[in-house]
Amino acid sequence: MLNCKQASQLASRAMDEKLSFWERAALKVHLFLCRNCTNFTQQLNFLREASRRSRFNRNFQLTAKAKQRIASAMKSKQDGN
Amino acid sequence: MAPKNNDLNTQTWLEKYGDYLFSYALLKVKDSHLAEDLVQETFLAAITAANSFSSQSSIRTWLTGILKHKISDHFRRQGREVLIDDLVDQNETNSLDIFFKANGGWINKPDAFPSPEAALQQQEFWKIFQQCLAGLKPKQAEVFLAKEIHGMSNADICNDFTLSSTNVWVIMHRARLSLSNCLKINWKN
Repeated sequence: MLNCKQASQLASRAMDEKLSFWERAALKVHLFLCRNCTNFTQQLNFLREASRRSRFNRNFQLTAKAKQRIASAMKSKQDGN
Repeated sequence: MAPKNNDLNTQTWLEKYGDYLFSYALLKVKDSHLAEDLVQETFLAAITAANSFSSQSSIRTWLTGILKHKISDHFRRQGREVLIDDLVDQNETNSLDIFFKANGGWINKPDAFPSPEAALQQQEFWKIFQQCLAGLKPKQAEVFLAKEIHGMSNADICNDFTLSSTNVWVIMHRARLSLSNCLKINWKN
């Protein structure tokens, strides 16, 4: 029987790759019995969704203006070299 | 091992790595104009130093290394005691003791996240999400940004950061536990 630490490890890994049949079965049984780890699994999905959307958030992307400025600075640096 | 993305064609750097470097810098300096300037300085320094690029590392890792020095210089100019060492994990312990008891049970039980969709619509949530990312350990923040936010594949992460897939699982697990804990404490809907 998995403890919560092990279950959370499997749940996290399951976000990134396919678990083996037995790992999936063990995780499923644990989640069926454990509210806390079920909540953690929901949080994992939430983090994935938040990350996916934040990609287009201004905190994670250079503005077009900044890109232009940097590109021209790079160009004059290269022309000078 | 031959590096991936080993192109010294500086024209493509901005498109390929600009957003990643910017978001990394912003987590550290928390000012978007300053972060833009640091990214620019990084690229200019990289152009000058392109000859000294060692194919031991990937371009992204190399650029991130230059950026870290720029960030550290910035803090030093401000007289702040944040040096390059704070941007690199010294001895990353992967102990999960802050999250789990000796018997493997949760120390802070995860809650059901209250109305996730509503959270994602709120400015305040994104501010806290940003703070929580900034609070991650250096390596966790870098890998989480690259993988989850900038969509880098598992294979590229392993190559680029020279990590085994087991390392990546461990780092991602810890990052997710930390973020989940941080949101639980700071996000009150």
